[in-house]
Amino acid sequence: MIACLAIPAFELRAALRKRPSVALQPAALAPSDGAEPLIGSITPAADQAGVRPGMRMGEALATCPKLILVEPDPASAERDWEEIVRSLEDSGFAVESSVLGTAYFDTRGVERLYGGLESALERALAAVGSHWDARVGAAGRRFAALAAANVARPGQALIVSDEHTKEFLAPLPLRLLGLDERRREELEALGVKRVGQLAGLPGAAVAERLGPDGRSAWGQARGGRRGRIVGRRPPAEIFEVLEFPEAVGNELTLRRALATLVDRALSRRERADRFIRKVALSARLVGGASWRRTLTFRDPAAEPDRLRIALGPKLNDLPAPVLALRLELTELTESRGQQLELVKPDGAELQTKLKEGLRQVKASTGGGAVASVVEVAPWSRIPEARALFVPRDD
Amino acid sequence: MLKPLNEPRAALVEPRADGAPRLVNRLTVELIREEWRVVDRWWTEDPVNRRYFDVVLESGQNVVVFHDDEHGRWFSQRGA
Repeated sequence: MIACLAIPAFELRAALRKRPSVALQPAALAPSDGAEPLIGSITPAADQAGVRPGMRMGEALATCPKLILVEPDPASAERDWEEIVRSLEDSGFAVESSVLGTAYFDTRGVERLYGGLESALERALAAVGSHWDARVGAAGRRFAALAAANVARPGQALIVSDEHTKEFLAPLPLRLLGLDERRREELEALGVKRVGQLAGLPGAAVAERLGPDGRSAWGQARGGRRGRIVGRRPPAEIFEVLEFPEAVGNELTLRRALATLVDRALSRRERADRFIRKVALSARLVGGASWRRTLTFRDPAAEPDRLRIALGPKLNDLPAPVLALRLELTELTESRGQQLELVKPDGAELQTKLKEGLRQVKASTGGGAVASVVEVAPWSRIPEARALFVPRDD
Repeated sequence: MLKPLNEPRAALVEPRADGAPRLVNRLTVELIREEWRVVDRWWTEDPVNRRYFDVVLESGQNVVVFHDDEHGRWFSQRGA
């Protein structure tokens, strides 16, 4: 069976972990910088006050003037989600996860390990912990499992057998079907308000009226594809962080900091000469918010310049000055081979000699003794704000 | 945590009546080459208000010292 573990409003919950008292008040996830001013997930108190996820911010505040807007904290959310997925993996589940707050896994491999389907699902809930209010649904098809997880109460495991899938899905509201709001309203205006009503319509007619999205929703309403769950490869645990003595907003300084992070991350021994397939760049911002961008390389890379060139433009998206910048090598290749160069680039020999010399100095004086001077604000009128010592790990 | 380069170091300075240094680390100031003021970060909780002096001591040494008007102390600093 396919199981789906869902944590509704995950990003809001992650953002509220530092402010648990707000969870009991009407609160909503504020729109991200530069995005359309639509609010994200909401707390139960906001729901009771008439606020709905996806509402325009002005409308939401007019509906509930006491509404607290919670700034998204994507870096914390990613970290919390990663912890949850790892706990599931530690319990033996091969997890597939593309959206924060929703994870799929196949129960076939673990049912025997835990003594049955129900025990396996309970084990998954226990692995996540009770404070996230996770719920699990299991069914023969992916969408039915997702629907079951959305219908289940916090901490509950809901199993829908194949023969009951149609009856189970029929009374559920259309919002579960990943349709955009306009399409859903269009369907509701036509009197189609439940999943079962949509599933009862002829597929060709739905496709003609609503296009490919409608056709895909119609497929889901009929249970969705059976699909195979492909467990992810656990990410590598290589990261480097630079904490600044004071907030930095200057692009040049941030690019220099990025270059240092790239050099340090690439020189980590755990990388073992493997190439980088995916990286994540995150930052802690002034005011407590966070920012995160990920990048997947078409050709895995291990050259500092390629990483710098690829990641540099991401720094332009930073919405506020940065207190700490973090680079994670989230996925590495298995291969370690490298094409030898016919002609060594200029300075390669000197670089090798310098590295060897630095290694000797470090061996005799201990870690942290070798540092690079990195200019961070050469124009500053305060001399000690112009440059920093950055310890070298290579 | 990263360490800033050219951090100020506490200096033993005896000032003249006009506030300029007369003795720096017990050595007489022979010449004040330059004097300037740095007022910055006044909008933060850690404002900077310094009066800098580029001086030549009796030993021939060239030193930059400043009086921190926020904390009322003297410092020497390289790279100023």
